Amino acid sequence: MADPARLSALVYTAISLAAAALFLLATYAAGVAYPPVARFGGAVWVFILSMIITMPLVIPYLNKRQKSPLLKKK
Amino acid sequence: MEQISIPVEGMSCAACVARVERTLKNTPGVSGATVNLVTGKAGVEYDPEQVSVEQLVNIIRELGYQVPVEEIHLTVRGMSCAACVARVERAVSALPGVLKVTVSLPAEAARVAFYPGAVTAARIKEEIRGLGYEVEEKITGQEALDRERQARREEIRRQARNMLIAWPLAILVMLGMFRDVWIFPRFVPEFFMNTLFLWALTTPVVLIAGGQFFVHSFNGLRRGATDMNLLYATGIGAAYLIATINTLWPEAGFGGKGATFFESAALLTAFIVLGRYLEALTRGRTSEAIRKLINLQPKTARVIREGREVEIAADEVVPGDVVLVRPGESIPVDGKVIEGHSAVDESMITGESIPVEKKPGDEVIGATINKTGSFKFEATRVGRDTALARIIRLVEDAQATKAPVQKLADFVAGHFIAGVHVLALIVFLFWFFYGYHAFFRPDSHFILSPYSLAEVGVFGFSLLLSVTTLVISCPCALGLATPSAMMAGTGKGAENGILFKGADAVEAAAALQVIVFDKTGTITRGEPSLTDVIPAPGFEREELLKLAAAAEKNSEHPLGDAVVRGAEAAGLTPGEAEDFEAVPGHGIKARSRGRAILLGNRRLMEREGVPFEALLPRVESLEQDGKTAMLAAVDGRAAGVIAVADTLKVNVPQAIARLKKMGLRVILITGDNRRTAEAIARQAGIDRVLAEVLPQDKAEEVRKLQNEGLRVAMVGDGINDAPALASADVGMAIGTGTDVAKETGEVILIKADLRDVVTAIEVARATMRKVRQNLVWAFIYNSLGIPVAAGIFYPFTGLLVSPELAAFFMAMSSVSVTLNTLLLKRFVPSFQRGPGEPREGAGRPVPDPATQQ
Repeated sequence: MADPARLSALVYTAISLAAAALFLLATYAAGVAYPPVARFGGAVWVFILSMIITMPLVIPYLNKRQKSPLLKKK
Repeated sequence: MEQISIPVEGMSCAACVARVERTLKNTPGVSGATVNLVTGKAGVEYDPEQVSVEQLVNIIRELGYQVPVEEIHLTVRGMSCAACVARVERAVSALPGVLKVTVSLPAEAARVAFYPGAVTAARIKEEIRGLGYEVEEKITGQEALDRERQARREEIRRQARNMLIAWPLAILVMLGMFRDVWIFPRFVPEFFMNTLFLWALTTPVVLIAGGQFFVHSFNGLRRGATDMNLLYATGIGAAYLIATINTLWPEAGFGGKGATFFESAALLTAFIVLGRYLEALTRGRTSEAIRKLINLQPKTARVIREGREVEIAADEVVPGDVVLVRPGESIPVDGKVIEGHSAVDESMITGESIPVEKKPGDEVIGATINKTGSFKFEATRVGRDTALARIIRLVEDAQATKAPVQKLADFVAGHFIAGVHVLALIVFLFWFFYGYHAFFRPDSHFILSPYSLAEVGVFGFSLLLSVTTLVISCPCALGLATPSAMMAGTGKGAENGILFKGADAVEAAAALQVIVFDKTGTITRGEPSLTDVIPAPGFEREELLKLAAAAEKNSEHPLGDAVVRGAEAAGLTPGEAEDFEAVPGHGIKARSRGRAILLGNRRLMEREGVPFEALLPRVESLEQDGKTAMLAAVDGRAAGVIAVADTLKVNVPQAIARLKKMGLRVILITGDNRRTAEAIARQAGIDRVLAEVLPQDKAEEVRKLQNEGLRVAMVGDGINDAPALASADVGMAIGTGTDVAKETGEVILIKADLRDVVTAIEVARATMRKVRQNLVWAFIYNSLGIPVAAGIFYPFTGLLVSPELAAFFMAMSSVSVTLNTLLLKRFVPSFQRGPGEPREGAGRPVPDPATQQ
């Protein structure tokens, strides 16, 4: 089985990159001429916040799956 | 596959070993099991995906063996909010073999129950340390006090150092940023506006004073945990990063030199550090009660060793040592007086302000103060067993527990951080894609700031609102609201001689609707006392009592003892008796100073041929009141009636009246007959009586009341009350009662004064009032602050909350919650307030009714 820490890192980074990419796409699709700094700065901020949001969700979830649901405390 | 070593108790032979081994091996998911009889351990190799440690333990228990559970108490330093609490609890409870974790933020304590062998104390500590907190096993007594004080001082010193760095530099940064405004151009040099200069000033503020937030958040994130440090770190980090880019690379397109938020980064850090500093200063004060208790412990004791008087450390006294105490000295340990007389001030333990007389045979309590004479006593309980040490442990344990309402707050706060980041993302996306284009005004300003936001572009604007939302949302006030009030409340209880065993006891006591009192030993003194002396015509009251006491002097019957005590209390000296004869089931016969005395029931008078019909109405009336009436005859003539009864304890009617005034229903429960019970209830002012209830049925009566939807407290002192104490929502045990009752009750009233039932409920209600105020304040703060920070008023006003103002509000919310809690220190129980009901009488010996007639 894959190392849960590495698997977690892969998952939350992928989700955050996807969120940042979606943001970038949205800046083009919005029909507003955003300056490049706003586009990329915004994408970075979305990436950071997405990382912060997903890390505490993904790490315990994958750890728990690794340890089996039987180990859950009452 | 993982390996675990589970301790197994109760195995006595090789057959037990084989049984445990075989059963474990047959369990799905277990690939190997070796049980060692000598070490009492089962080594199991198992697949955690298929079987858990708890299941393995249950399998062993089902076989009839015990798996011991150990508990460690840890001091965890560095936690700053409820999210930290949730973080520690989550990390530790995820360790295999950990049963239960309770973490208290204000007490900086963690209590972990675990299966020894499955996990070790060292592993638990390592896990907590890995989260970035300091951890050590909890110690008690003076050493704990010293270490706690030292740690507190270090934290205050650390935050003071951070303040010294952050504030002067932040003020200089602010002057530089607003150099063009108001009167500043007159005295602020122009180079203050240089962005490189401002960057140089801001960098140490963010990296040195604010470095703690980055370190803590990184440690947490590595383990998938978040806390409010992350809010600060993202807020400060974002402001600083943008300002740095715009300073060093103004052409990068982040808004250039006009969009440097140095004052945001610097003041944000300064305000958060100020909050931390104030928190470090005030947090320790809520646990002052424990500190006061620990400080009471005397350091030295004077003992007699090998016939010589030697002074030794108080913790070196062993049971059996003879300890000498002089006037003005503290009593070092608990013991029994063997020589000398004195009055001892026990107010620090019992709250009773009148010194208590001590004579040989009386018990003395460690940490109380000897007032008048010298005496010697034999040490009976020392170290962790003294009454004071037990009280300290009870208060500490209570402060480490969680009230149900606190668990909700912790849950909200624990999930708040992720929610706040989601919110910050939504705020950013809203303003970036829609809000900025729809509502941006060139005259935009921060509230309470002349700083214009005209040059800020869509990214900077959206980022600012996103960061401000992060900063203002910190749930620290929410995290502090309940535990700080609980600590203050349980401390207040301890000051008044009331020990709450847990925060849940405080919460339950505040919501009580019915108080059920046990009769004997709780409402009454539990021993008969002389109540009435009614002489027949031709006899004087004093003469009758004196003769009766003389006759009873040699009696060992409790009724006789009550008569003798009654006479002595009335100032009479009973003479000597001759020809004493106890007539079983009838009474006694004796002669004193040549006079023949009879004292007993009707049958005795009939047997001796004494006419007593004239006294019968008085006898019946006394019996109607639940008293035991004895007929007396002298020289063959009926001389009067003497009655004894179990009398009410002092202050009972006042306590009952107050409880009723507080809207509580009061019930008397007893195994006694209805007539006696009703007589006592009448005197006490209790309307409802449950009489002739067998000890085992008392709990059932309590449950019946609970089934009516009522929240019930049981007040009792005896072993027979224990089931009812356990069944009630709150069991209140009288401190002078049995150990069983005290262990069962959730609230212990150290004195035998029933007014403390009132005080306990008042303290609990005051504490819960504070909890509610704190929670309401914290929720209002967060629910109002977040939309304001997210820019809800911006479209109408053009005003925004700056990140530093948000940090200031956040710090103030925590401080105001703590200060509101500290107001609880001013709480005075109603019995100490009213001039008409002085507290001084509490616990004084009951005035004998015989003297009051």
